[in-house]
Amino acid sequence: MKVLVKDKINTALNRLAENSQVYVPVHREGGSRFAPWPTVPGDELALDSLNTMFSPKEVVLPQTEKMYTFAARGQSVEIKETGEERKERVVFGVRACDSKAIAALDEVFLTRGYEDGFYKARREPLIIIGKACTQPGPNCFCSAMGVDPLEPDPVDVIIYDLGDAYGWEPRSERGQKLTQSLGDILADRDFQKPSAGEFQLQVDINGLPEKLAGMFEHPLWEELAEPCMNCGICTYLCPSCYCFDIQVKNRGTEGYRFRCWDSCMYPEYTMMAGGHNPRGSKHERFRNRFLHKLEFFQERYGTSLCTGCGRCIVACPQGINIVSIIKRLQEVELDVR
Amino acid sequence: MKELTDRVRQTARKLLDGQQVDLVLGWEKGPEPFRSQPVFIREPEEAEQLVFDEFCIHNLSTFLLDYRDGQEKIGIFVKGCDSRGVVRLIEDNQFLRERLYIIGIGCPGMKDPLAAARAASGLNGTEENEGLAAKCRECMYPNPVLYDELIGDEQPPHLEGERFAQVKKLEGMSAEERWQFFSDMFSRCIRCYACRNVCVACNCRRCIFDETRPQWVGRETNLMDNIGYHVIRAMHVAGRCVECGECERVCPVGIPLMLLNRKLIKDVNELFGPYEASLKLEEEASPPLSVYRPDDPDNFL
Ligand code: SF4
Ligand code: SF4
Ligand code: SF4
Ligand code: SF4
Ligand code: SF4
Repeated sequence: MKVLVKDKINTALNRLAENSQVYVPVHREGGSRFAPWPTVPGDELALDSLNTMFSPKEVVLPQTEKMYTFAARGQSVEIKETGEERKERVVFGVRACDSKAIAALDEVFLTRGYEDGFYKARREPLIIIGKACTQPGPNCFCSAMGVDPLEPDPVDVIIYDLGDAYGWEPRSERGQKLTQSLGDILADRDFQKPSAGEFQLQVDINGLPEKLAGMFEHPLWEELAEPCMNCGICTYLCPSCYCFDIQVKNRGTEGYRFRCWDSCMYPEYTMMAGGHNPRGSKHERFRNRFLHKLEFFQERYGTSLCTGCGRCIVACPQGINIVSIIKRLQEVELDVR
Repeated sequence: MKELTDRVRQTARKLLDGQQVDLVLGWEKGPEPFRSQPVFIREPEEAEQLVFDEFCIHNLSTFLLDYRDGQEKIGIFVKGCDSRGVVRLIEDNQFLRERLYIIGIGCPGMKDPLAAARAASGLNGTEENEGLAAKCRECMYPNPVLYDELIGDEQPPHLEGERFAQVKKLEGMSAEERWQFFSDMFSRCIRCYACRNVCVACNCRRCIFDETRPQWVGRETNLMDNIGYHVIRAMHVAGRCVECGECERVCPVGIPLMLLNRKLIKDVNELFGPYEASLKLEEEASPPLSVYRPDDPDNFL
């Protein structure tokens, strides 16, 4: 068995950064997040904090991403792709909730007959070093959402916090190769895998997707949505929310197309060209977020789109709490007809 | 505060029982001790849900916008800052005074549940849990300026030191330093527009940032588009901002929006003042930037 002694983390990260773009969790003013290694001034490696405030989805789905540039040349138009080069990339220290979210993004962007080239270009060369989570935080409920905090998946390597070192366990062929490349930095040592701590937050999602299928018109949505201000913070912080818009910027005869995160919480999101908005009210937008997370995604992909990371619970300015909402939904008695 | 909670419940129950109002806006307790959150009640029995404690920081006046097209009569609990929000809405012709029953509460200063949640979350390492919220430490008007009924005691202003100290520091910077400062500040904005959505002065039905034909401000999260957003937002609330501090409180990346707001408060004061937005409800009153006077100063043009 291999371990990475904590004193050697910088050495290991530096080695990885020789051939790859490496992302690590950092503390930064304005919120912890995944950022490139070596860190820039102001960023501080944050391997000991519970998780990051901003999710690692930025590594595969940046908030703004240029797609192509165009320029008018007389009668013709010149188009240039601006996709990034397919360099190897490593993201270090991803928790189970967030890797489950990446699994969900993979489903969306890579399966069912259409592959999103921009996503693929970032995702395919990505090596994920997962971190087994042993101390669930006060807002974590991943286990309730079917995630095993000790088994991040998909991952190429899992690390276990052993105190003075990280237990290092390759989980894929790429993970094996990466382990070999760190051969002189990793040490041989037997270790016992730590066990998972207690979850303070529990919720039962049994039968929920089926139940929600009959609750689209339920009056409860209006009540639940009343304190929401449709700000979308919950969706921007969520590791598995993947909605984006495609927009364009023109300057004279040149310009570029880009995509940027969007959110079903915004009125503009569903605004149609003719001015009609099929999700015109706050509670309809609010309902969509929860139904997408808990019902629609389940129906299409057989898994929940909420992975229980708890970020939205922490960050919602109006105290909207997905666990409390699931509990309210589960309490509803539906007429069986 | 226990007595205040009792008074709040009694008042809400009385209003709903007597059908004086259809709906009451107040606060309830969430799952954690530091969570107080907005609640909307319609039945007298639900009055028991209400609380008033040191975490009732949310400015409920903005929620009135959700009901502006309705007919219902609304009871609303307001602290000092919230009451100025209500004046804001009435002055901006967004709400009729007659539809409101306003219960004022002198505010002893609040703590921020959001800051407490972040500190407890473990997501940001060891974050300081700040005690009295930043917006409350700067508060000059903790007592409601408009109400039908007042509960609790009058409170002294919480501001210690000088109101514009930070603004003056900013004014004292060289142009380069200021550019650097604002670049650092705005480049981290994620453009969620929570600062707009929570703002009672941002009460336009059609916001410039939601316009798509034409689109006035680009949707990329980069410095230029972010600055476009921030300059317009700040200018659109200039002279109308009630200094409730909600924009800065809800910002998920901790952008010090009140600094810019206060700079504009100071400028409006110096150019058109003395002026303090929404301190009392006056017939036909309009904020300085909403009226034209031939003797308006124009030396900045
Ligand atoms: S963060 Fe809260 S208030 Fe904002 S959109 Fe999400 S649920 Fe609504
Ligand atoms: S919905 Fe909330 S708890 Fe679920 S994955 Fe998204 S941010 Fe995490
Ligand atoms: S919840 Fe909304 S923003 Fe998130 S992925 Fe679903 S539709 Fe998109
Ligand atoms: S700009 Fe900020 S401080 Fe001013 S009224 Fe709006 S939310 Fe309150
Ligand atoms: S709340 Fe903060 S991050 Fe969101 S748009 Fe406003 S300044 Fe930007």
